[in-house]
Amino acid sequence: MADDKVMIIMTSGPDTPRRCATPFFFASLAAAMEYEVTMFFTIDGTLLLKKGMAETIFPKEGGKPVSAFIQDALDAGVEFLACTASTELHDMQPSDLLEGVKMVGGASMWQIAEDCKTVLTF
Amino acid sequence: MSNVRGFNLPDDLYYLVEKHVWAKPLEGGVYRVGITAVAAKLSGGKLAALTVKAKNIGQEVKQAKSLATLESSKFVGPVPAPLSGVVLRANEKLVTDPNLAISDPYGEGWVAEMQPTDWENEVGNLAFGAEGIAAYQAKLEAENITCS
Repeated sequence: MADDKVMIIMTSGPDTPRRCATPFFFASLAAAMEYEVTMFFTIDGTLLLKKGMAETIFPKEGGKPVSAFIQDALDAGVEFLACTASTELHDMQPSDLLEGVKMVGGASMWQIAEDCKTVLTF
Repeated sequence: MSNVRGFNLPDDLYYLVEKHVWAKPLEGGVYRVGITAVAAKLSGGKLAALTVKAKNIGQEVKQAKSLATLESSKFVGPVPAPLSGVVLRANEKLVTDPNLAISDPYGEGWVAEMQPTDWENEVGNLAFGAEGIAAYQAKLEAENITCS
């Protein structure tokens, strides 16, 4: 087990804007602490990765859109993985996803989780 | 102390210019390190936390790698080490008052003390004295960073 790997499983989506900033903030912070960080998006979390979607979601009125939190995490080197089954749930195509997001099956989540010291779920 | 584009930059510090951090020699070969007034400005001016990773104490952190983390409403990111060295201690005052790093970045707001492990090879990467301040000024001008 590597002690420098962590994963955040993101299930919250556009219906709960207030739950959509902190997970990205925590991911950026972990990257700043030199952890290798994966965010795994499933259920409604995957919708945040739809091109153009995150720009329209504001966790705080008058604050930054979710897209800014996503960009901070990507800039910090966080890896984004989208659960294939959840893209089917939302009728999303691979081309609907933000650049750089990889689609993986649920088994990948288990394998990454096994290799991580900490797994957080939001 | 030099004033460059509104920022105070003491002449007696070693700067890792691209990371906006400084190092100052103390007695016994120990170096005190911290963030510059420029980093304070870029972080948004009000910190929620500045945290030295507990696991780093007693361990070596390489130059430009994450020594601590800085959190504000505008920014979250690393405080890179200006030099490679063993982290001897963190400034505990920052636990209760992280904004000391903003209000007094070269004094009460220092981040950590380190014992260098590769000083002779790394000193060439650091800006120092009048020449160093000029190098820092050139970076600020190139990126159009000002204090106001």
